Amino acid sequence: MNNQEALNTLKDIREMMEKSTRFLSLSGWSSVIIGIYSCIAAMIAHYVLAQTGIDKTGILFLFAITLIALSLLTTILMCRHKAQRQHRQLQLDLPTRRLLWNFFLPLLVGGILCLSLIWQQHYGLTSSLMLIFYGIALISASHYTYSNTRYLGYAEIILGLIDSFMVNHALLFWMIGFGIFHIIYGIFFCLKYEK
Amino acid sequence: MRLYLEDINKAFESKVRLGIMSILTVNESMDFVTLKNLLELTDGNLASHTRNLEELGYIQSFKQFIGRRPNTTFSITDKGKEAFQKHLSALEEFLKNQQNS
Repeated sequence: MNNQEALNTLKDIREMMEKSTRFLSLSGWSSVIIGIYSCIAAMIAHYVLAQTGIDKTGILFLFAITLIALSLLTTILMCRHKAQRQHRQLQLDLPTRRLLWNFFLPLLVGGILCLSLIWQQHYGLTSSLMLIFYGIALISASHYTYSNTRYLGYAEIILGLIDSFMVNHALLFWMIGFGIFHIIYGIFFCLKYEK
Repeated sequence: MRLYLEDINKAFESKVRLGIMSILTVNESMDFVTLKNLLELTDGNLASHTRNLEELGYIQSFKQFIGRRPNTTFSITDKGKEAFQKHLSALEEFLKNQQNS
């Protein structure tokens, strides 16, 4: 065994450990695109809220579902594209399943809590709770994918907490958190990993 | 100089076996299919290497059925952990001595 061989062996070991514990097909572009969706969505929601005499809750609810579905679809397609470029296939293997579980569990809890608040007509804290629980979901998921997603998580939590002290600027905070932060993080991610 | 070379384990000279040990060191357990995909191997190829490591007592397997499909998962044994750790230390030691000389 020579020096180079030993170095290569250690490199292989490291790579295998990383590949088997983390989902590495995350795409930075999907974050940018979701950010753009969110900005557009916030503007449309702002317009809808200004209208009178229509069932706003129903419209916004359908709108939110569409946004979530579109964002998920975009993420899946972009991740699949990235996996193919890495000559791999996107599949529900153990690292992927762990990522999904750890991401969606906090998100689901937060989502149900928000629905309960809306149902009881406590609208005030919903945007703040969405941001906070999304932040927690990102931090929890960061152990199973690129670890720097946790910084986006911290940012969302701080923004959510600030939002909770403010009155009447929910949509603005929502747009910063889900729109601007996603775009900034996505660009940073692309520059770092996808050049 | 000779001492640490004894600790470089012959069982881990194959890249595949090294990969299996690396993966099972950082994962509580791993199923056959994920392992196969991570290492980019065929069924038969992976099976022969896992059998080999199992015979050495470095890993253990659990067979169960999910529906009708057999599903085998593997995990590392204490003996395997120790052997792999020793192997890694030996590699590090080797590199350190190379740099000094």
